[in-house]
Amino acid sequence: MSWVLHRIDDRLIHGQVLVAWGARLDPVRIWVVDDGVAASEWERTLFREAAPGIDVRVASVAEAAQAHAQEAAAPGAAFLLVRDLATARALVEAGAVVRDWNVGGLHYAPGKEKLNDYVYLGPADRGHARALLALGGALTVQDVPASAPTALAALDPALAA
Amino acid sequence: MSPAPGDTPPRPRVPALIATHADLAQALVRAAESVVGPVEDVTIVSNLGLSKDELEEAIEEQVKGWSYGGLVFVDFWGSSCHTCGATAARKHGEVIIFTGVNLPLFLDYLYNREKFDVVALAERLQQKGRDSIRVQRGVPA
Repeated sequence: MSWVLHRIDDRLIHGQVLVAWGARLDPVRIWVVDDGVAASEWERTLFREAAPGIDVRVASVAEAAQAHAQEAAAPGAAFLLVRDLATARALVEAGAVVRDWNVGGLHYAPGKEKLNDYVYLGPADRGHARALLALGGALTVQDVPASAPTALAALDPALAA
Repeated sequence: MSPAPGDTPPRPRVPALIATHADLAQALVRAAESVVGPVEDVTIVSNLGLSKDELEEAIEEQVKGWSYGGLVFVDFWGSSCHTCGATAARKHGEVIIFTGVNLPLFLDYLYNREKFDVVALAERLQQKGRDSIRVQRGVPA
Protein backbone atom coordinates (compact mmCIF):
# COMPACT_ATOMS: atom_id res chain seq x y z
CA MET A 1 0.00 0.00 0.00
CA SER A 2 2.41 2.63 1.30
CA TRP A 3 2.35 6.03 -0.43
CA VAL A 4 -1.03 7.65 -0.17
CA LEU A 5 0.02 11.29 0.06
CA HIS A 6 2.99 13.28 -1.23
CA ARG A 7 2.51 16.76 0.16
CA ILE A 8 4.29 20.09 -0.32
CA ASP A 9 3.70 22.11 2.84
CA ASP A 10 6.08 24.53 4.52
CA ARG A 11 4.81 23.52 7.98
CA LEU A 12 5.66 19.84 7.38
CA ILE A 13 3.93 17.94 10.21
CA HIS A 14 1.04 19.99 11.62
CA GLY A 15 -2.65 19.92 12.37
CA GLN A 16 -4.05 19.55 8.86
CA VAL A 17 -1.69 16.68 8.15
CA LEU A 18 -2.23 14.80 11.40
CA VAL A 19 -5.93 15.42 11.91
CA ALA A 20 -7.60 16.03 8.55
CA TRP A 21 -5.47 13.94 6.20
CA GLY A 22 -4.61 11.52 8.98
CA ALA A 23 -8.27 10.77 9.68
CA ARG A 24 -8.96 10.28 5.98
CA LEU A 25 -5.93 8.17 5.04
CA ASP A 26 -4.76 6.65 8.34
CA PRO A 27 -0.99 6.64 7.82
CA VAL A 28 1.26 4.36 9.81
CA ARG A 29 4.40 6.18 8.65
CA ILE A 30 5.16 9.80 7.84
CA TRP A 31 8.37 10.64 6.03
CA VAL A 32 9.62 14.17 6.60
CA VAL A 33 12.01 14.77 3.72
CA ASP A 34 14.11 17.82 4.34
CA ASP A 35 17.86 18.28 4.36
CA GLY A 36 17.68 20.96 7.05
CA VAL A 37 15.53 18.94 9.42
CA ALA A 38 17.60 15.81 8.80
CA ALA A 39 20.75 17.72 9.74
CA SER A 40 19.33 19.02 13.02
CA GLU A 41 19.18 16.62 15.94
CA TRP A 42 16.68 18.92 17.66
CA GLU A 43 14.27 19.00 14.70
CA ARG A 44 14.64 15.29 14.02
CA THR A 45 13.61 14.53 17.57
CA LEU A 46 10.84 17.13 17.56
CA PHE A 47 9.17 15.74 14.44
CA ARG A 48 9.63 12.11 15.46
CA GLU A 49 7.69 12.86 18.63
CA ALA A 50 5.07 15.08 16.97
CA ALA A 51 2.75 12.29 15.84
CA PRO A 52 2.09 9.79 18.63
CA GLY A 53 1.26 6.36 17.27
CA ILE A 54 2.76 7.08 13.86
CA ASP A 55 6.27 6.11 12.82
CA VAL A 56 7.84 9.41 11.74
CA ARG A 57 10.99 9.05 9.65
CA VAL A 58 13.15 12.07 8.96
CA ALA A 59 15.31 11.78 5.86
CA SER A 60 17.47 13.90 3.62
CA VAL A 61 16.45 14.15 -0.03
CA ALA A 62 19.16 11.66 -1.02
CA GLU A 63 18.11 9.17 1.68
CA ALA A 64 14.44 9.48 0.77
CA ALA A 65 15.09 9.05 -2.96
CA GLN A 66 16.98 5.87 -2.21
CA ALA A 67 14.26 4.49 0.08
CA HIS A 68 11.26 5.64 -1.96
CA ALA A 69 10.63 2.56 -4.12
CA GLN A 70 11.13 0.14 -1.24
CA GLU A 71 8.74 2.13 0.96
CA ALA A 72 6.14 2.01 -1.83
CA ALA A 73 5.86 -1.74 -1.30
CA ALA A 74 5.72 -1.60 2.49
CA PRO A 75 2.56 -2.51 4.40
CA GLY A 76 0.32 0.27 5.66
CA ALA A 77 -0.23 3.78 4.36
CA ALA A 78 2.55 6.37 4.27
CA PHE A 79 2.76 10.13 3.84
CA LEU A 80 5.73 12.02 2.46
CA LEU A 81 6.13 15.69 3.35
CA VAL A 82 8.45 18.29 1.84
CA ARG A 83 8.50 21.98 2.67
CA ASP A 84 8.72 23.46 -0.83
CA LEU A 85 8.63 22.87 -4.57
CA ALA A 86 12.42 22.92 -4.76
CA THR A 87 12.65 19.91 -2.45
CA ALA A 88 9.90 18.10 -4.34
CA ARG A 89 11.76 18.64 -7.57
CA ALA A 90 15.07 17.54 -6.05
CA LEU A 91 13.47 14.35 -4.78
CA VAL A 92 12.04 13.47 -8.18
CA GLU A 93 15.27 14.34 -9.96
CA ALA A 94 17.09 12.08 -7.49
CA GLY A 95 14.97 9.17 -8.63
CA ALA A 96 11.73 9.07 -6.64
CA VAL A 97 8.72 8.34 -8.82
CA VAL A 98 5.91 10.66 -7.70
CA ARG A 99 2.88 11.08 -9.93
CA ASP A 100 0.75 13.30 -7.73
CA TRP A 101 1.85 16.10 -5.45
CA ASN A 102 -0.60 17.65 -3.04
CA VAL A 103 0.21 21.35 -2.65
CA GLY A 104 -1.01 21.97 0.87
CA GLY A 105 0.68 25.10 2.13
CA LEU A 106 3.22 27.52 0.68
CA HIS A 107 2.74 30.62 2.75
CA TYR A 108 3.60 34.22 2.11
CA ALA A 109 7.17 35.41 1.85
CA PRO A 110 8.50 38.62 0.28
CA GLY A 111 8.50 38.46 -3.51
CA LYS A 112 5.77 35.82 -3.69
CA GLU A 113 2.35 36.28 -5.25
CA LYS A 114 -0.86 35.07 -3.71
CA LEU A 115 -2.75 32.32 -5.53
CA ASN A 116 -5.11 31.59 -2.65
CA ASP A 117 -5.04 31.87 1.15
CA TYR A 118 -2.39 29.21 1.56
CA VAL A 119 -0.38 29.16 -1.67
CA TYR A 120 2.03 31.93 -2.68
CA LEU A 121 4.58 31.48 -5.45
CA GLY A 122 7.66 33.40 -6.54
CA PRO A 123 9.70 33.10 -9.74
CA ALA A 124 11.89 30.31 -8.38
CA ASP A 125 8.83 28.35 -7.21
CA ARG A 126 7.30 28.64 -10.66
CA GLY A 127 10.50 27.30 -12.18
CA HIS A 128 10.38 24.27 -9.91
CA ALA A 129 6.66 23.79 -10.59
CA ARG A 130 7.23 23.83 -14.34
CA ALA A 131 10.03 21.31 -13.95
CA LEU A 132 7.85 18.98 -11.89
CA LEU A 133 5.04 19.20 -14.45
CA ALA A 134 7.53 18.53 -17.25
CA LEU A 135 8.72 15.47 -15.33
CA GLY A 136 5.19 14.12 -15.50
CA GLY A 137 3.92 14.94 -12.03
CA ALA A 138 0.56 16.49 -11.21
CA LEU A 139 0.42 19.43 -8.78
CA THR A 140 -2.92 19.63 -7.03
CA VAL A 141 -3.76 22.40 -4.59
CA GLN A 142 -5.82 21.18 -1.63
CA ASP A 143 -5.17 22.06 2.01
CA VAL A 144 -7.57 19.56 3.58
CA PRO A 145 -9.66 16.69 2.19
CA ALA A 146 -12.86 18.70 2.55
CA SER A 147 -11.56 21.39 0.15
CA ALA A 148 -12.05 21.12 -3.60
CA PRO A 149 -8.85 20.00 -5.34
CA THR A 150 -7.59 22.42 -8.00
CA ALA A 151 -4.72 22.04 -10.43
CA LEU A 152 -1.93 24.48 -9.57
CA ALA A 153 -1.75 25.54 -13.22
CA ALA A 154 -5.44 26.48 -13.12
CA LEU A 155 -4.74 28.86 -10.22
CA ASP A 156 -1.59 30.24 -11.78
CA PRO A 157 -1.85 30.95 -15.52
CA ALA A 158 1.84 31.88 -15.51
CA LEU A 159 2.64 28.17 -15.23
CA ALA A 160 1.03 27.53 -18.57
CA ALA A 161 3.18 30.20 -20.28
CA MET B 1 3.05 49.29 53.29
CA SER B 2 6.43 47.61 53.63
CA PRO B 3 6.50 43.87 53.99
CA ALA B 4 6.92 42.65 57.53
CA PRO B 5 10.21 41.00 58.42
CA GLY B 6 10.08 37.36 57.41
CA ASP B 7 7.42 37.88 54.74
CA THR B 8 8.02 35.92 51.55
CA PRO B 9 8.53 38.35 48.69
CA PRO B 10 5.89 38.00 45.97
CA ARG B 11 6.74 35.60 43.21
CA PRO B 12 7.12 37.02 39.74
CA ARG B 13 4.00 36.34 37.69
CA VAL B 14 4.51 33.42 35.33
CA PRO B 15 3.92 34.92 31.88
CA ALA B 16 1.86 33.18 29.22
CA LEU B 17 1.35 33.18 25.50
CA ILE B 18 -1.54 31.35 23.84
CA ALA B 19 -0.70 30.17 20.31
CA THR B 20 -3.44 28.38 18.40
CA HIS B 21 -5.24 27.79 15.15
CA ALA B 22 -7.42 30.58 13.79
CA ASP B 23 -9.04 32.77 16.48
CA LEU B 24 -9.09 30.22 19.28
CA ALA B 25 -6.53 32.05 21.45
CA GLN B 26 -8.42 35.31 21.20
CA ALA B 27 -11.71 33.57 21.92
CA LEU B 28 -10.21 31.77 24.92
CA VAL B 29 -9.10 35.06 26.46
CA ARG B 30 -12.51 36.59 25.73
CA ALA B 31 -14.25 33.62 27.30
CA ALA B 32 -12.00 33.86 30.37
CA GLU B 33 -12.80 37.57 30.66
CA SER B 34 -16.49 36.75 30.68
CA VAL B 35 -15.84 34.64 33.78
CA VAL B 36 -13.21 36.57 35.74
CA GLY B 37 -13.08 40.07 34.25
CA PRO B 38 -10.19 41.72 32.39
CA VAL B 39 -7.21 39.46 31.66
CA GLU B 40 -3.83 41.15 31.73
CA ASP B 41 -0.37 40.03 30.66
CA VAL B 42 -1.43 37.22 28.36
CA THR B 43 -0.38 37.52 24.74
CA ILE B 44 -1.83 35.63 21.79
CA VAL B 45 -0.62 34.39 18.42
CA SER B 46 -2.62 32.80 15.61
CA ASN B 47 -0.92 30.51 13.13
CA LEU B 48 -3.31 31.66 10.40
CA GLY B 49 -1.45 32.24 7.15
CA LEU B 50 2.00 31.84 8.71
CA SER B 51 4.76 29.59 7.45
CA LYS B 52 6.80 27.49 9.88
CA ASP B 53 9.54 30.12 10.01
CA GLU B 54 7.12 33.01 10.46
CA LEU B 55 5.28 31.23 13.25
CA GLU B 56 8.55 30.47 15.04
CA GLU B 57 9.49 34.14 14.79
CA ALA B 58 6.09 35.30 16.02
CA ILE B 59 6.30 33.05 19.08
CA GLU B 60 9.93 33.87 19.78
CA GLU B 61 9.13 37.57 19.67
CA GLN B 62 6.73 37.06 22.57
CA VAL B 63 8.82 34.76 24.76
CA LYS B 64 12.31 36.19 24.34
CA GLY B 65 11.89 38.69 27.17
CA TRP B 66 10.73 36.18 29.76
CA SER B 67 13.42 36.27 32.43
CA TYR B 68 12.06 33.49 34.61
CA GLY B 69 10.47 31.25 32.02
CA GLY B 70 6.81 31.04 31.12
CA LEU B 71 4.08 29.00 29.52
CA VAL B 72 3.17 28.74 25.87
CA PHE B 73 -0.32 27.31 25.73
CA VAL B 74 -1.14 25.64 22.40
CA ASP B 75 -4.18 23.75 21.19
CA PHE B 76 -2.81 20.32 20.37
CA TRP B 77 0.27 18.16 20.30
CA GLY B 78 1.75 17.90 16.81
CA SER B 79 0.27 21.19 15.62
CA SER B 80 2.44 23.85 14.04
CA CYS B 81 2.00 25.92 17.21
CA HIS B 82 3.46 23.04 19.20
CA THR B 83 6.47 22.32 17.01
CA CYS B 84 7.22 25.97 16.22
CA GLY B 85 6.68 26.91 19.85
CA ALA B 86 9.10 24.24 21.00
CA THR B 87 11.73 25.43 18.55
CA ALA B 88 11.26 29.09 19.47
CA ALA B 89 11.24 28.36 23.20
CA ARG B 90 14.35 26.23 23.42
CA LYS B 91 16.58 29.30 23.12
CA HIS B 92 14.96 31.06 26.06
CA GLY B 93 15.32 29.12 29.28
CA GLU B 94 12.46 27.49 31.12
CA VAL B 95 9.73 28.16 28.59
CA ILE B 96 7.26 25.27 28.69
CA ILE B 97 5.00 24.30 25.81
CA PHE B 98 1.66 23.24 27.21
CA THR B 99 -0.60 21.44 24.73
CA GLY B 100 -4.34 20.91 25.00
CA VAL B 101 -5.21 24.24 26.59
CA ASN B 102 -8.83 24.59 27.66
CA LEU B 103 -10.86 27.17 29.52
CA PRO B 104 -10.87 25.53 32.98
CA LEU B 105 -7.12 25.17 33.09
CA PHE B 106 -6.59 28.64 31.68
CA LEU B 107 -8.77 30.09 34.43
CA ASP B 108 -6.74 28.16 36.98
CA TYR B 109 -3.58 29.63 35.44
CA LEU B 110 -4.96 33.15 35.95
CA TYR B 111 -5.59 32.54 39.63
CA ASN B 112 -2.30 30.80 40.32
CA ARG B 113 0.31 32.42 38.13
CA GLU B 114 1.82 34.28 41.08
CA LYS B 115 1.71 31.36 43.49
CA PHE B 116 3.92 28.81 41.74
CA ASP B 117 7.08 28.74 39.69
CA VAL B 118 6.67 27.82 36.05
CA VAL B 119 7.41 24.11 36.43
CA ALA B 120 5.11 23.60 39.41
CA LEU B 121 2.40 25.64 37.71
CA ALA B 122 2.63 23.54 34.53
CA GLU B 123 2.28 20.35 36.57
CA ARG B 124 -0.72 21.77 38.40
CA LEU B 125 -2.41 22.88 35.19
CA GLN B 126 -1.83 19.53 33.51
CA GLN B 127 -3.77 17.89 36.32
CA LYS B 128 -6.44 20.61 36.29
CA GLY B 129 -6.90 20.16 32.55
CA ARG B 130 -7.26 16.41 32.89
CA ASP B 131 -9.69 16.77 35.78
CA SER B 132 -11.80 19.21 33.77
CA ILE B 133 -12.63 16.64 31.12
CA ARG B 134 -15.53 14.57 32.33
CA VAL B 135 -18.37 12.75 30.72
CA GLN B 136 -21.85 12.88 32.13
CA ARG B 137 -24.34 10.47 30.73
CA GLY B 138 -28.02 10.48 31.49
CA VAL B 139 -29.65 11.95 34.57
CA PRO B 140 -27.95 11.26 37.91
CA ALA B 141 -30.06 9.02 40.15
